[in-house]
Amino acid sequence: MNQDAREGILNRLKSAPRNNPDARPPKPVLSETGLDREGMLERFTSELTAQTGTTYRVQSGEEALAVLARIAAEEGLRSIIVAGKALPGMDLKAFGDREGVAVTAAPETADREALRQAAFTADAGVTFADFAVAETGTVGLIFRQDQPRLVSIAPPVHIAVIPVDKLHPVYEDVIGQVFGETDHIPSQFAFITGPSATADIQAVGFKGMHGPVKVFAIFVTGRE
Amino acid sequence: MHSRVDKFVETARRELKVELSQAFLLMLSLGAPIMRQIGLSSFPDPAAAEAYSRAVRAEAVDRLPELLEEFERNATARGVQVIWARDAAEANSAILDIAQRRGIRYVTKGKSLVTEEIGLNEHLVEGGVEVFETDLGEVITQLLSLPPFHLVGPALNVPPEEISAVFLKKGIISEPTTVPVELGKAARAYLREKFRHLDMGIVGVNVAVAETGTFINVENEGNIRLTKSSPKTLVAVMSLEKVVPTMADALHLVRMVCRNCTGQKLSSYVSMDTGPKKTGEIDGPEEVFIVIVDNGRSEIYRDPQARQILRCIRCGACANVCPVYAKIGGYPYGFAYTGPMGQVMNPLLLGIEACSDLYRACTLCGACSKICPAGVDHPSLILEYRAREIRLKNGGSADFRSRAGKALASLLSMVMGSSLLWRLGVKCARPVLNRFARGGYISGIPTGPQAWFGCRDLRAMPARTFHEQWQDLQAGSGREAS
Amino acid sequence: MKVSLFIPCTVDLMMPEIGTDVFRLLKRLGMSPVYHRGQTCCGQPLFNAGYRDQAKRAAKHFIEVFGNDERVVSPAGSCVTMVKHHYPELLSDEPHWHSRAVELAGRILELSQFVVDTLGVTDVGASFEGKVTYHESCHILRGLGVSDQPKKLIASVKGVQYVEMNSATACCGFGGEFSVAYPEISEAMVKDKAGNFLSSGADVLLLSEPGCLLNIGGYLHRNHPGKKAMHLASFLAENA
Repeated sequence: MNQDAREGILNRLKSAPRNNPDARPPKPVLSETGLDREGMLERFTSELTAQTGTTYRVQSGEEALAVLARIAAEEGLRSIIVAGKALPGMDLKAFGDREGVAVTAAPETADREALRQAAFTADAGVTFADFAVAETGTVGLIFRQDQPRLVSIAPPVHIAVIPVDKLHPVYEDVIGQVFGETDHIPSQFAFITGPSATADIQAVGFKGMHGPVKVFAIFVTGRE
Repeated sequence: MHSRVDKFVETARRELKVELSQAFLLMLSLGAPIMRQIGLSSFPDPAAAEAYSRAVRAEAVDRLPELLEEFERNATARGVQVIWARDAAEANSAILDIAQRRGIRYVTKGKSLVTEEIGLNEHLVEGGVEVFETDLGEVITQLLSLPPFHLVGPALNVPPEEISAVFLKKGIISEPTTVPVELGKAARAYLREKFRHLDMGIVGVNVAVAETGTFINVENEGNIRLTKSSPKTLVAVMSLEKVVPTMADALHLVRMVCRNCTGQKLSSYVSMDTGPKKTGEIDGPEEVFIVIVDNGRSEIYRDPQARQILRCIRCGACANVCPVYAKIGGYPYGFAYTGPMGQVMNPLLLGIEACSDLYRACTLCGACSKICPAGVDHPSLILEYRAREIRLKNGGSADFRSRAGKALASLLSMVMGSSLLWRLGVKCARPVLNRFARGGYISGIPTGPQAWFGCRDLRAMPARTFHEQWQDLQAGSGREAS
Repeated sequence: MKVSLFIPCTVDLMMPEIGTDVFRLLKRLGMSPVYHRGQTCCGQPLFNAGYRDQAKRAAKHFIEVFGNDERVVSPAGSCVTMVKHHYPELLSDEPHWHSRAVELAGRILELSQFVVDTLGVTDVGASFEGKVTYHESCHILRGLGVSDQPKKLIASVKGVQYVEMNSATACCGFGGEFSVAYPEISEAMVKDKAGNFLSSGADVLLLSEPGCLLNIGGYLHRNHPGKKAMHLASFLAENA
């Protein structure tokens, strides 16, 4: 029956008079494409700040852990769930032992149930991000075995750690890399810009609906 | 969805008197265009950005069948199960079947206008599957059984007191509150449990990408990402016009839909799914179904004038600038689609003759088509539907009103087609029109609906038309004083 | 240059003084406008209501009357839009009429378009002490893209003070048949328009569309008797 439906629909579409599409006008220029690293960092920061997110810049994994410790203290984080490829100098298990924060490595959870249990009860999700985009203060995550999806959407706080060389001016730079090779297209990819939000009641806007209510981005720049 | 289009006039009259709706609509009509303008100004050349999105959508519609085949090929190669549904019944039973075979007790749903159009929720509930809308606006309209007030914000006008009352009734809150943040938090807690234990989720599709077989969702709340990530089974429902050729095209449309919809440069989450989860992934769906819904669209596609409506990207900007919508809100449009988009879509889905008010309650001001990022020319479609309605009414057994209307139109056209009849006609019209004139103005007619005269006067017809004055005017022009 | 006057039915029947003012204005600018007495109505009311066959009749008569004119000028944006944009579409199935319609479309202009763009004139020698504001009618603005031209004409009036009205580009709620078929919605729209005029502080509301003038003028006459709306042509002619 599905085949009948498919043929019925496609045949009707194909039997319609054909319009040959007009040539497209030139692609619109984006002002962000010319940004250098410093420009990108500034732009990312101002964009994310406007969405109530906080941006940090550190030189090493160790410094990133120090920032993480501060955030954990300020936000009262007792448990975090972690995903993605950890940066050198960022042993989060050890960090957790030191700081008295329970750390779950998401890829090591036994199954979907265990992951859901951990992600929905964790105080924060920490993700080592694959990309960031200056254009709108956006973080890009490729979801795969070592980067489960729920880590960045279920907990009320999301902390993204991003190597600065993954920061790009506009989305296109990222999408080309993620979708460029057919065999390597991930099952899911997401652009994340600030915390979750809504304005569905009387157009009163607020942050923190179903996803995180707070977002932090930590750029690791390497020795400067 | 059950259509209430036949109640257009009475619903409009009622809404004009609802103070809260009116206040909100005023704010929307003043604020939304400004937000949109600010969002678009991030482009060095906003006009070029608009021209480009129009070109992308025009091309996508022109190439629709081949793009759908390409999309299906690429999605299927990635393990997606593509289901084609000719109508609402096929789509609904396919989705219910998926749920029943897996013993699904409930689903969470991301906002999807096409699922409202086909009445999916009702069908699932009848089939024993509970449905939890999760987009806050849809949560409210679902609980209150309300139609959508706005394409994108369906419950924007609902007083917080009413939300509080129904939340209280459902045990979502234990104390009444009218603070939006508190209500939002309560909804979050209520639905979190549903996401946590979810076995099957249903979402819509904002854009489908042919070159990769990817579908993209644009959202702010996170309910769609949770619905796509948590369960083993995922169903994405898309109306068949949502496809575009490339990821680059999709990115541009995502930029445009966000700016036109809420003025944001990008929504909080743009998530792109290509196939089910890969081996070794812990979350994400094991099976992904994409239901491609026709429900009249392939017929619309074959209609050369109507086809352009398929370009729509559901941004809602047209409603935000429509002066009629700004007075009556979404309820009178009576179906899943409101505002100018509803004016041109609903008649094609529900029938031209059933939707007369939708395309006649319009001044053809053109504000909608002016800002549409997809290039839909609403006024030309509205005029086309008016012409079709007249042709339909005059064929077959026309009722008295239609015959009278046609007779009048024919009389007028005869008068307009002849200089002599025009001048004679005017002489006959003057005494009739001026019968109730006082002091050079007509303020009302003694019986029947006042229509024009309800709030306005009308100048009485002067003693001489321009025609009748011309000779004197021309003669006197040589003696014109400055 | 020969200019032929297209005086819309609303002006001909209800507000002929606008026609007189247009004539006087053009004479002032050195034109000798002709007026074809055979003209009737462009057929827009029939077309908008969906009676296309009947509208065709009016269109063909119009083309017969104006078909040989070098320039046709009219004080009504919606009527010019009808001829320019809808006649070719309406007559698309009759090639001979279609080509005449396309041809005519290139030669018909709204009044301020003609004065400013064709004649290159913005100062018509008018003066007015007081504040004015301008309502941007839908067809003239979005149909013809005419907005700067009327404003330039207003700005060149000596002594005048132009004030911007809120939502100046919002529809006034006339829409022809709409105002009669959906009177409550129309009322809500014209009430807003009048309110914006009043709060602008202007003494006079100027506009370039006879339909809008009937609507807004009629509303003002009933509800705000001291406040006035005028066609731009009348304003310029009276104060010259």
